[in-house]
Parts: sequence; structure tokens; C-alpha cells
Amino acid sequence: MQIFKLFMKVLRKKIFTALIFVIVFVAISIPMAKNSTTEKAFKDTRLKITVFDDDNTPESRALTDMIYSKHKRVDIERDKEAMTEALYFEVTNYVLVINKGYSEKLAAGETDGLLTSYHIHEWFSVVLTDQLLDSYISSVNAYTAAGCDLSEAVEKAGEAVADETEVNYTSFNKQSDFGRSAGGYFSYLPYILISVVISALCPVLITLNKKEVRFRTNCSSIRPSSYTMQVFAGSAVFVSAVWLFIMVIGTVFIKGSIYSGTEWLAVLNSLIFMLVATAMAMLICSFTPTENVLNIITQVLSLGMSFTCGIFVPQSMLGAGVLSFARFLPAFWYVKANDMLCGKEAFDSSKLAGYLLIEFGFAVVMILITLLIHKLRYNSAKPAVRSRSSELRAQN
Amino acid sequence: MFLHNLFYELKSSLRAKELIIWLMIFPIILGTFFKIAFGDLYDKQTKMDTIKTAVVGIENDPNFRTVIEQIEQEDEPLLKAEYLDEEKALEKLANGDVTGVIYAGDDMSLTVSDTGIEQSVLRVFIQQYSTKAGIIKETLASDPSKLGEVTKALMADASPNHAEPLTKGNTDFYIEYMYNLIAMVAMYGSITGLHIAVGNQANLSPLGARKCCSPTPKALSTLAGIIGSWLVQAVCMVICVSFTAFVLKTDYGKNLPYVYLAAILGGITGVSMGFFVGSIGRMKNSMKVAICMTGSMLCCFLSGLMMGNIKGWIAMKFPVFNNLNPAALVADSISSLNLYTGHERYFTKLMYMCGISAVFITLGLILTRRRKYADL
Repeated sequence: MQIFKLFMKVLRKKIFTALIFVIVFVAISIPMAKNSTTEKAFKDTRLKITVFDDDNTPESRALTDMIYSKHKRVDIERDKEAMTEALYFEVTNYVLVINKGYSEKLAAGETDGLLTSYHIHEWFSVVLTDQLLDSYISSVNAYTAAGCDLSEAVEKAGEAVADETEVNYTSFNKQSDFGRSAGGYFSYLPYILISVVISALCPVLITLNKKEVRFRTNCSSIRPSSYTMQVFAGSAVFVSAVWLFIMVIGTVFIKGSIYSGTEWLAVLNSLIFMLVATAMAMLICSFTPTENVLNIITQVLSLGMSFTCGIFVPQSMLGAGVLSFARFLPAFWYVKANDMLCGKEAFDSSKLAGYLLIEFGFAVVMILITLLIHKLRYNSAKPAVRSRSSELRAQN
Repeated sequence: MFLHNLFYELKSSLRAKELIIWLMIFPIILGTFFKIAFGDLYDKQTKMDTIKTAVVGIENDPNFRTVIEQIEQEDEPLLKAEYLDEEKALEKLANGDVTGVIYAGDDMSLTVSDTGIEQSVLRVFIQQYSTKAGIIKETLASDPSKLGEVTKALMADASPNHAEPLTKGNTDFYIEYMYNLIAMVAMYGSITGLHIAVGNQANLSPLGARKCCSPTPKALSTLAGIIGSWLVQAVCMVICVSFTAFVLKTDYGKNLPYVYLAAILGGITGVSMGFFVGSIGRMKNSMKVAICMTGSMLCCFLSGLMMGNIKGWIAMKFPVFNNLNPAALVADSISSLNLYTGHERYFTKLMYMCGISAVFITLGLILTRRRKYADL
């Protein structure tokens, strides 16, 4: 077990890097997953709205109350610069000013210049707010036209607008009891697995493959197969420990109980991706990169896959060209499977099996390439060793 | 002697692989990924496609069909309806072919299988129709003679709300990530700045040990180190801004020269911060690097590199903090060029950057002053 012990000794020096990645992942993922609860009913889109009431009459206050009953109230400073900043950074989505003379104009049946609004982003929810205001004002005017006095018209319009349409929420994805919270936790996993495995495992494998260490090991009494097995065992212990730790954290903090139903498929999906990340690390190590090059490779692979495969930005928001490219990356298929499991796509067991198999295929191909590279390197090293030995013999 | 030191400072900086990787290659890679992921995201989020809808029981409310047909005739219709029986409609909803199923009739209702903006649009659409239909029914029941006036009031093209624009700039929120990328490179300048102090401290580097023994005045070699690092950092900032502007096609409008200025000043602030951290105490080099990297990333996080709108939240809760965070100052100064027409806010941010740099450099010089080999 000499090699295994050496492996663990070198790994201990890199464990801090791995721990930082895992702790950051857990610290970010848990609050995010906790915030996104499983949808069991229809929830209307609520905007963050700021109302400044310059009229300050019962009618304007009724409008303010109606808006705040439907949207979230946000108070900000009334200053153009502060408003711009708040709207741009989405502290608030919509600023409404009820102009002076609002109630008088409303009583006279005038609609122009009643309200002034400010918004920066043209989200569709902003258009909805405009429509809500139009609907409210036209309802007040209609009730006034029907003979109601202004206060009665305002009250009736408020009631009419507040009367919610019945919305039935039906989840057709019966196969999936995989909550969005757990889905969110699993969706960021590829980024962290790639980062942890490459940044912690690769330096260990590179150290073991250093010319001095490798030559010394080669000339020792340890059989090559035993050496390979011990390195493999060390790698397996490390990646399994990382994966198990992440799974246990998910069970304790996200789920609150043991995984069940389709959640086990997500666990399987993550296990396969763990194999992919390990195979990737082994492939990179076979090129024995320097520490600087390894750092940049880690960043390129982890961030690259996260941005192009739908980990940081949903696949539905990515361009067709990006997605076509991403199909050649394993994280794309991981995300596809995870999206299906958390109900973003209709559940289809044969499709899911396909996604998992493609992922696994990536791992197999990378392992084969790694073996090929090792074989080629070994074969090319042999004649060099032979020629050196024959030189020495000739000298003697 | 000053020029000699400056020349070698520049030469050694350019040979540092870490500098090339983290200040040049990494921002280029990260910026490219930002462009790939966020390039069209804003347009996609603000553009609304026609919502496919199934309507059940339209025979119960012929007026509703008329309203839908009017909407469908618009250039960019809000919705496209299919009139189906309940079974087929629900099947289409299950397959994702339609966003929602509207049940027409006296008690209108909506069935959806997901929560989102399209579903909310459908609900508001039905809500508005039901409100109007309810008012008409109420009028018919109470005073039918007023029906004409009521219908006219309901159908009138009321525009009570006047929307006032606040900015003429690019409202694509995701462009903030590019500004924060520039801020990140500026903050990484702290590693460059750290080398000045490390290179002067005998217990941290052989170079520091040699410098301590050399007859060159300490102030001269430190000054050469600071100016050399500022120059190298300025070059990195220019490369970063040029890459975002000319390769990634980030729209800075006519403000590109101001962006260069803000980025270079940001880089100077980053270097100054690194010089100050490097000058503190007798900590190991690795500890100082860790402090610089953690501090830089924390500043970038609070400026919005990882979560775009965190800076806005901080601006509301602790407005002073954004003027003390060097990364937020860099990103804010560039952002202000985009959002506001005047340059007042931009120059205020630049003044803060100059102030922070001056404080860091002064503190660093005080800490390294008269520190001899024997003191370490």
C-alpha cells in the first residue's frame, strides 16, 4: 500500500483547495435551493413597485392600496439618480407617480396625465402593470358613466380588479416527485465536481507522474499493475468521498429525509458525471501540465461547460449555435437529464436512459484516450530506456 | 538609478507567468463565456412570443371569441387560440403544445401546468375581460339605458399612464457583467502590487534580501516598483477593455476613452491595495497572496460579478459601501457613463478611486518606512 499512502499524503496538501470549492458550493446552493420551493399551486408574477402619491386624496390612496395588494411594495428615495439606479439593478421594477389633481381629473372623466411611470427594463410584467392601471381607470370611468359617484366608482373598480380569476394548477409530470429545490441543488453540481476533481486530483496524479518519482517507483519492487490499482484506489476513495459528502449534505439540508423516487435517478446522474469528471482529470494529467496551465484548464473547462451547457443560464435561454456546440460536451447531457427530472421537460424513461448513456459514453471515451496516451508514452519510452541500457553495457 | 529599477521592474513583471494568465488570459476566457451566455439573454427575456392557448366551451360566450379574433388580427398578437373540447385541450397542455386552457362562460377559469410570465399574462387577460363583462352585466341589470355610455367608457382608449424614460443608455442589464469583469482585472492588480512589497522585504524573497543590502535608497526602489506595477497593470487594463470593446463588441457608445480611463485608475487602485497588503507585518507570502485574492473576490462579489443586482441592493441599504469598494467603484463609473447623460457621477467615482489609492499607498509607505533587514 506504499503508493496508496503516498497518494493520500500528497492529496492531504490539496484537500484544502477541494474543501474551499465544496464549502462555497454548499453555502451558495443551500439558500438558493431553500428559496425555490416545489410548485404545488399557480403563483402570479409579482412585481416590486414603488408608488409616490402626489395627490394624497382618498381616490389616490385607493389606487395605491390596490397596487400594493397585487404587487410587492418597495420604498426608495425620490431622486432621479436613485430611481435610475434602483430600476436598473431591479431593486424595484416599476415606479408610479400619482400626479397632483388625479382625483379631480378622474371625477371629470379625463384620463390624460393622471399617472406618470418610470421603468428601465422592458420585462413583460411591466406591460402587465400598465394594463392593470388601464383596466382600473377604465372601470372607474365606466362606473361613473353608470351613475355612481366617484368614491363609489373607485370602490367598485377596486373590487372588480381585485376579483381574482380562478386558476387551476395541474402538474402532468406525475413521474416526477423531484422538487425544484433539489433540482436547483443538482443543477450546479457539474461546475463543482469538475473544479474539485481537477484542482485536487490532478496535482496528486501529476506529482506521482513526475519523472523522478515515476522512475524511482518503476525501479522498485512494486508491480506496475499493483501501482495502477493503488493509484486507482486512491482516486476512487477521494472522488467517492467528495460525491458522498455532497449527496449527504443534499439529503440533510435540502430534502430533510432520504432521497426517494426519481431523486435516485438524479443521484445516479450525478454519480455518472462524477465518473466523467474523474476521467477528464485523468486525461488532463496524462499531458502532465504545469500548475499554471492546470489552473487555466480547470477554469476553462468548469466555467466553459457551465456557461455553454445550461448550468449557469438555462438551456432554453441559450442560442441555437451555443447549444449545437454544447451537445459535444458531457455537461449538456447532465443538464438535459436533470431538467427532465425536475419537471422542466416531460418525463420519458427511454430518453433519460439515452442521456445517461451518452454521459457515460463520454467517460468511457476519455478513459480509452487516457489509456492510449499512456500506452504510447510507455512504448516510446521503452526504446529510450533500452538504448540507454545498451550504451551503459557497451561502456562496461 | 530610478530608471534602471523601473526598467527591471517592467522586465520582471512581463516575465511573470501568473500575471499573463490571471490578468490577460483568464479575463479573455471569462469575457468570452459571458458573451456566449448573456449575449442574447436580455432580448430573449424582454421579447414575448405569441402565447398558444386552448379555449374550451366557446359556445357559452360568443363575445369572447370576437375579442380573441380581434387580438389575433394584430401585427404581434398576444395570443393564438384553438377552440377544442376539454379532453383534447388538456392533452395539448400536457404535451406542452399550449400554455393554458381557458374555460369560457359565466365563470371563466384558467388551467395551467406551470407558473411563469406567460401564464400570468393569460390570467390578467381573462381577468380584464371578466371585469369588463361583469360591469356590463351589472349595468344591464341596474340601468340598461346607461349601457351605451358604460360600453363607451370601457372601450375608450384610455391612456392614464405616461411613461417617462430615465436613461438613453443601453438598458441590457447583463452588460454589467462585462463592467464587473473589468473591475475584477483591476482588483487582480493587487497581486502585482503585492510583489512590490514582497520584492522589498528580505524575509519574503531573495530579491528583497539583496535589495536590503544594496546601496539604492529604499524610497527610490519602492517608487520605481509602484510606478512599474502601475504601468504594467495599465497595459493589462487596456488589453481587457479593448478585448471587450472590439472583440466581444460591448457597446460603450462614445464613452470608450472614459472607460479606458476608469479601468486604468481602477488598476492603479488594485495595485495600491496589493502594495498596502504586502506591507503589513511579517506574514508569509502565501498568506498575503491569500488575503489579496480573497479580498479581491469579495470586492468583486459585492460589486456584482457573481450576482448582478447585489450592488443595487447594497446601494439601497448601505449607500456608503459602494463608494468604499474599489471593484464597485470601477464597475459603477463605467455603468454611470451608460446610464446618465452627464459625467458628474463618473468623475465622483474616479475621485473616490484616487482617494483610496492615495490612502493605500500612503499607508504602505508608512508601514515599509525604515524597515531594515534587522527589523524582520
